[in-house]
Amino acid sequence: MMKFRFRRQSTDPQREKIKQELFAFKKTVEHGFPHQPSALAFDPKLQLMAIGTKSGAIKIYGAPGVEFTGLHKDATAVTQILFLPGRGCLLSVLDDNTIHRWELVAESTREVGGVKKEGVVSLREVDSYSLPGRPGIESSSATRATVLLLLKSCDLLCVGTEGGGVYVLELPRLSLKENQTLLQDHVTQSLPDDYRCGKSLGPVESLQEHPQQAGKILIGYSRGLVVLWDLSSRHADQLFLGKQQLESLVWERSGNLFVSSHNDGGYSVWAVTNGNIYNHQPVSSTIPYGPFPCKAITKILWRTTQLSSPVILYSGGMPRASYGDRHCLTIQQDKEHVTLDFTSRVIDFFTVHNMDNDKEFDDPSALVVLLEEELVVIDLLTPGWPSLPTPYLAPLHSSAITCSCHVTNVSTKLWERLINAGKAQQSRRHTHRKWPICGGKSLAPPPRQQELLLTGHEDGTVRFWDASGVALTPLYKLSTANVFHTDCDPIDDPHDPCDDPDMQQQEEEEEWPPFRKVGCFDPYSDDPRLGIQKISLCKYSNKLVVAGTAGQVIVLGLNDERSDHLVDVSVMDLLQDREGFTWKGHDRLEPRLKPAPFLPGFQPLVLLQCLPPASVTAVALHAEWNLVAFGTSHGFGLFDYHRRNAVLARCTLHPNDSLAMEGPLSRVKSLKKSLRQSFRRIRKSRVSGKKRAVITTTSKVQEANAALAEQEEVAPVQRRIEPRSADDSLSGVVRCFCFADTFLRDGTHHGPTLWAGTNSGSVYAYALEVPGVDSGRTCERGGASESSMCVEAVLGKEIQLMHRAPVVSICVLDGRGKPLPDPYEASQDLSIAPDMTNAHSVLIASEEQLKVFSLPKVSAKTKFKLTAHEGCRVRKVALVLFSSAVQEDYSEHTLVCLTNMGDMHLFNMPGLRPQVRFDCIRKEDISGIASCVFTKNGQGFYLISPSEYERFSLSAKVLIKPQCSVQLLRHLGHMFTW
Amino acid sequence: MNRSFNKSQPLRHIDCNAVEVKSKYGAEFRRFSVDRVKPGRFEEFYKLLLHIHRIANMEMMIGYADVHGDLLPINNDDNFCKAVSTAHPLLRIFIQRQEEVDYSTFGTNTITRKKKAVVALRNSDISRRRPNIHIGLPHDFRPVSSIIDVDILPESHRRVRLYRHGSDKPLGFYIRDGTSMRVTPHGVEKVPGIFISRMVPGGLAESTGLLAINDEVLEVNGIEVSGKSLDQVTDMMIANSHNLIVTVKPVNQRNNVVRSSRISGSSGQSSDSSGSTGYPSLSMAAARETPSGAHGYHDDLESDEETDIVIESSLKRPSQRSSSSLASSASRTQQQLPPSHRSPQHHHHHHHVSLNQQLHKEPKHSQQHKPGQPQLHSSNPALRHSNGSLHKILNSLKTDPRHSFALPKGGVEEDGTVITL
Repeated sequence: MMKFRFRRQSTDPQREKIKQELFAFKKTVEHGFPHQPSALAFDPKLQLMAIGTKSGAIKIYGAPGVEFTGLHKDATAVTQILFLPGRGCLLSVLDDNTIHRWELVAESTREVGGVKKEGVVSLREVDSYSLPGRPGIESSSATRATVLLLLKSCDLLCVGTEGGGVYVLELPRLSLKENQTLLQDHVTQSLPDDYRCGKSLGPVESLQEHPQQAGKILIGYSRGLVVLWDLSSRHADQLFLGKQQLESLVWERSGNLFVSSHNDGGYSVWAVTNGNIYNHQPVSSTIPYGPFPCKAITKILWRTTQLSSPVILYSGGMPRASYGDRHCLTIQQDKEHVTLDFTSRVIDFFTVHNMDNDKEFDDPSALVVLLEEELVVIDLLTPGWPSLPTPYLAPLHSSAITCSCHVTNVSTKLWERLINAGKAQQSRRHTHRKWPICGGKSLAPPPRQQELLLTGHEDGTVRFWDASGVALTPLYKLSTANVFHTDCDPIDDPHDPCDDPDMQQQEEEEEWPPFRKVGCFDPYSDDPRLGIQKISLCKYSNKLVVAGTAGQVIVLGLNDERSDHLVDVSVMDLLQDREGFTWKGHDRLEPRLKPAPFLPGFQPLVLLQCLPPASVTAVALHAEWNLVAFGTSHGFGLFDYHRRNAVLARCTLHPNDSLAMEGPLSRVKSLKKSLRQSFRRIRKSRVSGKKRAVITTTSKVQEANAALAEQEEVAPVQRRIEPRSADDSLSGVVRCFCFADTFLRDGTHHGPTLWAGTNSGSVYAYALEVPGVDSGRTCERGGASESSMCVEAVLGKEIQLMHRAPVVSICVLDGRGKPLPDPYEASQDLSIAPDMTNAHSVLIASEEQLKVFSLPKVSAKTKFKLTAHEGCRVRKVALVLFSSAVQEDYSEHTLVCLTNMGDMHLFNMPGLRPQVRFDCIRKEDISGIASCVFTKNGQGFYLISPSEYERFSLSAKVLIKPQCSVQLLRHLGHMFTW
Repeated sequence: MNRSFNKSQPLRHIDCNAVEVKSKYGAEFRRFSVDRVKPGRFEEFYKLLLHIHRIANMEMMIGYADVHGDLLPINNDDNFCKAVSTAHPLLRIFIQRQEEVDYSTFGTNTITRKKKAVVALRNSDISRRRPNIHIGLPHDFRPVSSIIDVDILPESHRRVRLYRHGSDKPLGFYIRDGTSMRVTPHGVEKVPGIFISRMVPGGLAESTGLLAINDEVLEVNGIEVSGKSLDQVTDMMIANSHNLIVTVKPVNQRNNVVRSSRISGSSGQSSDSSGSTGYPSLSMAAARETPSGAHGYHDDLESDEETDIVIESSLKRPSQRSSSSLASSASRTQQQLPPSHRSPQHHHHHHHVSLNQQLHKEPKHSQQHKPGQPQLHSSNPALRHSNGSLHKILNSLKTDPRHSFALPKGGVEEDGTVITL
């Protein structure tokens, strides 16, 4: 049957053309923070920043909206990135000892509709080279690159190796200049005997070019020796006989001084004075956090300023015993001393400073720190060195993302109120100075409409993001933790402690080191029960419903003023006196008993507590009727938050279902899993913590073992073939709701209805009696009698899908087969009024089938048996309005369906005829598939890592992707100056 | 004796469409004929038999000898139609009194073509030699499995159809990944395949004897499984579990169906596995199946649709009550079920019960209801007991609707059950 449909579809050329105008699949942009960053670079001329990741991705960022992404063929960690300043060209060094050359390539300028458009620039890999000496082979680790230095002239690349040699490669071919190679023996010869003492100098740890004299480089060896080497004369100008194990080197701008940082947590300043070849002692040597043993200072920067003493910035150096586990970066200038305390490891950092040769001082304006989980920028011009809010690279995962929700076409009014609420939240120490990385120009058209992405987090917060454009920027953060009384609850302080780290800082003023918590990545959840599971926002009435892990459903309203009030609590028993069930899971969260202060923004009105306090699995809000529906694995409820009245509670629990009462925390399986994961995490962090982990045979064995263990985890290779039965576990889980004004009783009277679908293929349809709502229109709530009346719900129909697959989505279609408009849209003429004259129908999408039933008599009209035909199961479903990219006013309602195979199937409505299919997410990426959300205009988001959303578009018309140009200093287009 | 069934049609005008019928009751024989193409309804036929044998006030059991010599019952339109259409050359009917019926006589090899055996209907020597297979009450006969499409498949393949609703047994088998050998242009290649890995003892799959461990699964309901993962194939099978058609390459190639004109003529349904397994493989032509032999699974997909159940509470527009506490709404649900509707004639209770529940399968099928057949009205104690819990109703439905609803014998069509409480 379906085969015929497919065939008929595809043979119609007219239809094919329309389909091409409507649908096109493209992954457009990655939002958020790159997962596992491993390298950082900055091009001061083009003002572009590049980040490399462990998975081999390269991301370039400039001004907000300017983004380029490249991916190496092999998913190997990027260890170092080097910009060829101003040329739009960069070199990446991978962990496998290969160097790759990337270029920003501009398309030629083109004319579109008479307007000359600037060429869009894209990042492309141009060439790659393999350095001698492959990893993994013990003997060749001597030639393994440790550090690279690109000379300012951009024609030579110096490579320092594990074996202590320095090789010089010629650009652009990267051909080895044999005669330039400096081996360790060569240096050792010129050393005094007492220093030499027969030991190797160790790997090359640092290579730095002399800031004033081209062709002179500073070579630092691990053992502590620093050599000022003249490349042209192949002669050591000076030798600095350091005795402490070396970590990094930095020149002072004048070239008269350089600073070395060491393994013992100290740094030394050396004077480069002509005269004697040997320097035995540095000018000064300091261990800032001594005298007790300290950890290494891994990197140090020395920046001169015109008005004051130099700014010293260094990472690490913490007292080993007391603060050895902290991730710190210190900024010091004169007496001023701040120890930035981060929540994740420092990967690398740089300063934005004056690079012009004719300027005498560095005068750094900003410090950019790349951490493992976020990017932190410190304003160095403003006293107190406040942090700058980042316009992109927002750490989405500052607490783990548990759910998300997208709102299209947000009104300017609500948008402004959200921005103001967000501003009120920002701490005093945030500065509003211009973003220092401002290269490139975004050519993307301004967003047509404001779009909100709401993410729910494990710590009970909901974050509001501006998803209108390429850069996902934070707008406002809502915390629900203060509705409850938690262990770590500072009763008197309305702020979340992590909200305002500076408050703590004041208290700790006397502490040494002078820590200041910076950044917002906070992986530790106070209470896992606070986790947000479901979000629903009504953009017309500014009502928000947030539901969480411990069965809490919070109804919130937007308020521009701070308010101190007590939140109403209503408890809903969803078991409805079912006997023989005992909840073995977590307790409910204790509501706060005293009135709590709530900041401007969304403030809680009512707290509904489901009992048993199982995680909320579905939520729906109908703000026009003041109703909120919510479901757990035990049943569902309906609540009138206007009158604070529980309308309905219904138990969906199957008598044989024991698993539903276990609760998520007590499940043996998940505990085992979490243990395993935590072990893996430990193992992973150990590996990543080690600097330049050389892949040895032992680690290979470990890897193989790990791979074997992974294989074992793969479920048994046998699958039982048995139809789903009613007593499958967790069959009572409520999966979805639908509010609709439709015909449930008969074909002539329509009215409010509520639909609920469960895991076992049951659908319950209730007819609602909402006072003041008649024939689908809200009347003025005038009479006192009306306000005293209550909402009633009467079960109208129960539908049992015989295949018993979980119901994923329910949607009522009007007489024209179009989805009913959202609340308020019909009554306030915000959309085309629904067709109430012809018969309505209801779309019920289960994991196996899509089915449209006629209303009020529920009889099947059309169906599509996806699983029976394709062997895939429906995971997410959305009704999307696709607009034609060519015809101005043409659009179609389409059912978008994401399956467990990670592909998107598009069906027309209400005929359910397949239109197109796109591969979207890898089928192994279960979290990606589970996190997918669709917008109403044919875009979507899914998590590609804990910290990144991939944005994609299914629409040929609506496409938000980076389009940027960069003014390159090299000559036109592809011509290379070298 | 009245030798002609259709009096308006003299015997000499009977063309090739007429089927000669020889019916036997006790020691008496009657001969008449029926139209092969339009045999009419079973009910009429039954009345006719009673009439011509002059039987009154007795429940009779009608049986016939099929082409294989098996005694099979006639008790509905379907098997009557089948009996007439397969009669060759004449239809031999055996009438027994209901209370005298020995059900063990139904089944395979109960009648052979040998005249001797026909006479010794009850305890033939053959049935004494073989262990008797108890098949159950004739009105419980429903297909559980069949081999189909023998005429279009290669002989090394077998297409098996499992009817889940014909049995309360679990489907009962497991599948696994494996490798199979394929002949390709490049020679013999190892390709991944899906295999049956385990049978649940007593399950449907095992009891049919048509599937075995290590059979390679080639298709599921007409869709090739090559290139699909184990999980995909699992999902496909479960999605089709109400009417699962698996094409396998049996690991044991010795019991393959040998194509013969006789079998392919009878619509491709074959029951000759019974010989090798000792189990009967019943293939009953349901009325919905076109008798022309076009037994694709395509029409099965359409016709053998599982039907979603809709429980309807006919909604009176509720009164504008101001009180709506949960307690009151709960008590209302208690009232939803009428106190007693035992008598099946009680059709029109809509008037005196405010909320009445209708349990019916999808209306699409109620339309299929034959106009001649009375709609079934039943009151089910189990239902009332369950207090409207969908789960319990469905559970009872699942196990065997006929038992739990205590339906009158023979009065239900396969689909389209409409039960009004």
